[in-house]
Amino acid sequence: MTPAQAVFGEVEAERRVASAPLSHVSIELGHLYMEDFQAGPDRLREQFRQVAPWAETMRRSWQARVPGGRARVSTCFLIDDYFSRFSTPAELVPAVLEAAAECDLTIDYLARESACAETDGVKLARLVEDRLVTDPPAGTNGSRPPVTETGWLCNGARSPYGGAVQAMESARAWEPPAQNAKRRHSIFVDVELWDSDSRGRTWSCPFLAAVWQLLRLGLIRNDGELPVRPVPGGPPFPSDWEELPAIVQLNPAAAPFSAYSTMSVLSSRFLPVELAVRTILSQVFVDAEVLRQVAGRSAGEGVPLPDELVDRISYVFLGA
Amino acid sequence: MLVFAISDKGGTGRSVTSSNIVYRRALQGSDVCYLDFDFGSPTAGAIFSVSSVARGTAQGGMHRYFEGRLADPHRIDVWVESDREGLRGKPPGAGQMVLFPGDEGGGEFSTVSEEMLRRCVRLFSRLEEEFDLCLVDLSAGRSFAAQMALAATARLPGVPFRWLVFHRWTRQHIIAAHGLVRGRQGLLAAGVEHGHDEENLADHIRFVRTAVLEPDAAELEGLRETQKAWLHECDRELRELARKYGVGRTAMLGKIPLDPVLQWREQLISDEDVLSSQIANAETVAAFDDLAKKIVDDSAWEAL
Amino acid sequence: MLLMGEVRTGLLQNSGEIPESLCQAVLGLLSGERVRVSRRPIMYAVSPDQLTGVDCRLASASRARVRGVGTVLSRASVTGGRVLQGSSHIRVVRAGSDHRLSWSHYLARPGVVEVFGKVRVPDLVEGFAESGAWNDCLDLGSVSERFMDAVQGSPLLDRKAPFKSARTRLRWVAVSAEREPGHEPGHEPGHEPGQEGPGIRFVLGRDRVRTLRLVLPGGLTPGVVDFCEDLALHDWLLTTLQVIFERAGVGTATRAEVTARLAPAVDHLLHLWMPAARLDDEFTPFWERLERRPGFSRQWLSLVARVRDQIAVNTLALLREAGGW
Ligand SMILES: Nc1ncnc2c1ncn2[C@@H]1O[C@H](COP(=O)(O)OP(=O)(O)OP(=O)(O)O)[C@@H](O)[C@H]1O
Ligand SMILES: [Mg+2]
Repeated sequence: MTPAQAVFGEVEAERRVASAPLSHVSIELGHLYMEDFQAGPDRLREQFRQVAPWAETMRRSWQARVPGGRARVSTCFLIDDYFSRFSTPAELVPAVLEAAAECDLTIDYLARESACAETDGVKLARLVEDRLVTDPPAGTNGSRPPVTETGWLCNGARSPYGGAVQAMESARAWEPPAQNAKRRHSIFVDVELWDSDSRGRTWSCPFLAAVWQLLRLGLIRNDGELPVRPVPGGPPFPSDWEELPAIVQLNPAAAPFSAYSTMSVLSSRFLPVELAVRTILSQVFVDAEVLRQVAGRSAGEGVPLPDELVDRISYVFLGA
Repeated sequence: MLVFAISDKGGTGRSVTSSNIVYRRALQGSDVCYLDFDFGSPTAGAIFSVSSVARGTAQGGMHRYFEGRLADPHRIDVWVESDREGLRGKPPGAGQMVLFPGDEGGGEFSTVSEEMLRRCVRLFSRLEEEFDLCLVDLSAGRSFAAQMALAATARLPGVPFRWLVFHRWTRQHIIAAHGLVRGRQGLLAAGVEHGHDEENLADHIRFVRTAVLEPDAAELEGLRETQKAWLHECDRELRELARKYGVGRTAMLGKIPLDPVLQWREQLISDEDVLSSQIANAETVAAFDDLAKKIVDDSAWEAL
Repeated sequence: MLLMGEVRTGLLQNSGEIPESLCQAVLGLLSGERVRVSRRPIMYAVSPDQLTGVDCRLASASRARVRGVGTVLSRASVTGGRVLQGSSHIRVVRAGSDHRLSWSHYLARPGVVEVFGKVRVPDLVEGFAESGAWNDCLDLGSVSERFMDAVQGSPLLDRKAPFKSARTRLRWVAVSAEREPGHEPGHEPGHEPGQEGPGIRFVLGRDRVRTLRLVLPGGLTPGVVDFCEDLALHDWLLTTLQVIFERAGVGTATRAEVTARLAPAVDHLLHLWMPAARLDDEFTPFWERLERRPGFSRQWLSLVARVRDQIAVNTLALLREAGGW
């Protein structure tokens, strides 16, 4: 180190970023909403039956890819406790575990959706929102603030609307919205990130799902630290959702929660949600140091990753 | 400091007077700028004798800035770009004098959008960093420009602002000036709607009488006694009316005498116009000078 | 290929200098990211890096249409609790494809703008340095100013700055004297013939615009951004002190007035002069060059001496009047 650098080498001037333990792939076995729960235990069992072969395929394909077949694969399951609260952990979690076990599935980690909004005082959703860098339509030269509709995010340029016009100016004709990266024709997507009322802000389902993906990819940091760490846990489960840790590690032998890549097996009714998630994720600026860490480690293991986040995410959509 | 110039009626002398105030303030050593917010008729360039923008600028002025089509509105250094010999070249000790013209062919806006308001806040706070005095010439009457000024200042609690309401010394003008401030949808009502405290806002509004002809002015020497008596009577009535409408002496920041030069041409009156060519009246310049000092003199703005 | 940036510098809108804790608060523009602070030899606090997406033309001297897509890297900083800077820059590289890719591609390359088609580096260098943001070309200055505005707008600042001052603009571009690997010799090097060696050119322009052209001895290291910010800071100090002195009315105003007008400079500016305090060694020669010509510190010191002399003389005179010496 040169003396000049030594002068500036004060602790506060340096930046330290914690690294997350990483699996090769994180498989999401399901996402439980109130309506699924109300449909009864058979619905859950049916879901797991459909998921099982895909999870197995994913596991095998990674085993084939990783030298020595030592693929680290973890599974997770997300329960919605954000949009609606139903049942209790004490009642629900054992039922979910049982249904999974019947289909030879092990749930390594169980997460609460509200954790994606805020956990232990860390406003995860806010962290991610601050890191949105909007996809600029052609002609964006930095002279004006990025065009934003508060609480919305799109993949191109919106159709110009009313706004202020000058007196005696000729009227403006309608113009279509346009996707930035269109291939001749546009697929324009505009995603609502949140809305608010007197009780405050409610994040949208796609936004929380985007946070969920980032958590699983191990790409979120708060002040350089990992914002959420799985907490080992098992029966008996508490009778209040608040008492359940954000992410519970149910399987002591599980591979790490976060992974180089993610796979989600979902009902096709989530297709629009995931399109929205990808629209969001493709505009999240992840800390370059974190990206470097992850890329360095994966390359060291001989499993190079695609540069782009959305390419690290895969899905299986199942018909009804 | 932001100073907003407004009048209820058109043609009161708002632009000419406020331009001269800005000029005097610059001569007194402050950095000043003049913003043309008279969107329907952007002609401030003419008063500063900058002929290239006499009818607004072609290089992107206030209109295009508010439409979000450019980052910085066109700014004109009057000491450099004025066509008038006497204005070119900053006198020693004088401050900057910058004009922000509207766009050539620009028109009144149809509304104040949130985006426009944000741009206005940004513009005001940037200019406040740089200038001691930013004079904003709003148009006559209730306008979107005035609404935007009220809303923007409500969002800039740290930035001092003052309002000057210009009116002529006639019955109609006095009543109109009162109405603009205290009437329905007047400055106070609209201000409160945008988050201002009514009393505080009222304390930051003063009136300026323009083109005033004093009944005992030298110009009126030749009048018959009956005419003089009548004028005195009119003036007394007007003073009574003004007092009744809260537009009287206490709420008045200054008055500008009727000036022959200004009656014929909208321009800045230089010391030269008074001293060497002697076309303008010394009283007029003195009144501008006085107003320019009072605008920033806190004692002239103590609560009424 | 090259780096280009724009630094805007201005006075923090607060009555006094702000302490470290306040620096942390006003520069915390990104939740979950820490404001970095160094205290020696002068307090310097810098916001987390911010990105802004752009897809637009880059100015070129030949007016050729050059389209670039990518992200601008920006940060805001406060030096001595008193001077605010907004700084943005990009690294220009050739695009690997002939059409725009998905946005995540660009986000994975923070601060990189990819240009399409045939581009000549000198064309971009001249275009950027000379014309800056003409028409719809990339406008790094406005991006920088927005981050300054975000800081100035903080409710934690009292907005009662001790004096008025205009923001200055420093537009800079840097190329490397080293040939880029994989480049055929004689074909499109980063600079004109005869300008091969490392060098620096600093030009004072109108409207408080300054341009800086750098040819770096080694590669395009990130330290160049610090250098440009440091230069911008000192140029602002000098410019601002000059204006204050000029306006003090020495010779025309009363002694008390002159002293009152000079006082803010003494209270708020004089101690901030510390050129090259936090720079990598490789940039020291550049500062040394600038110290020789135009001679920043020389001019600063002579101005400071004049300010101090005025105050001393005026104080003495006032004392004499008061005490009848
Ligand atoms: N003190 C004065 N003495 C004589 N004439 C004056 C005086 N002040 C202004 N005038 C004249 O009154 C006319 C209107 O002035 P000015 O254009 O400044 O008014 P305004 O209120 O800005 O009008 P508008 O509402 O049209 O913008 C001009 O011809 C101007 O020269
Ligand atoms: Mg007018």
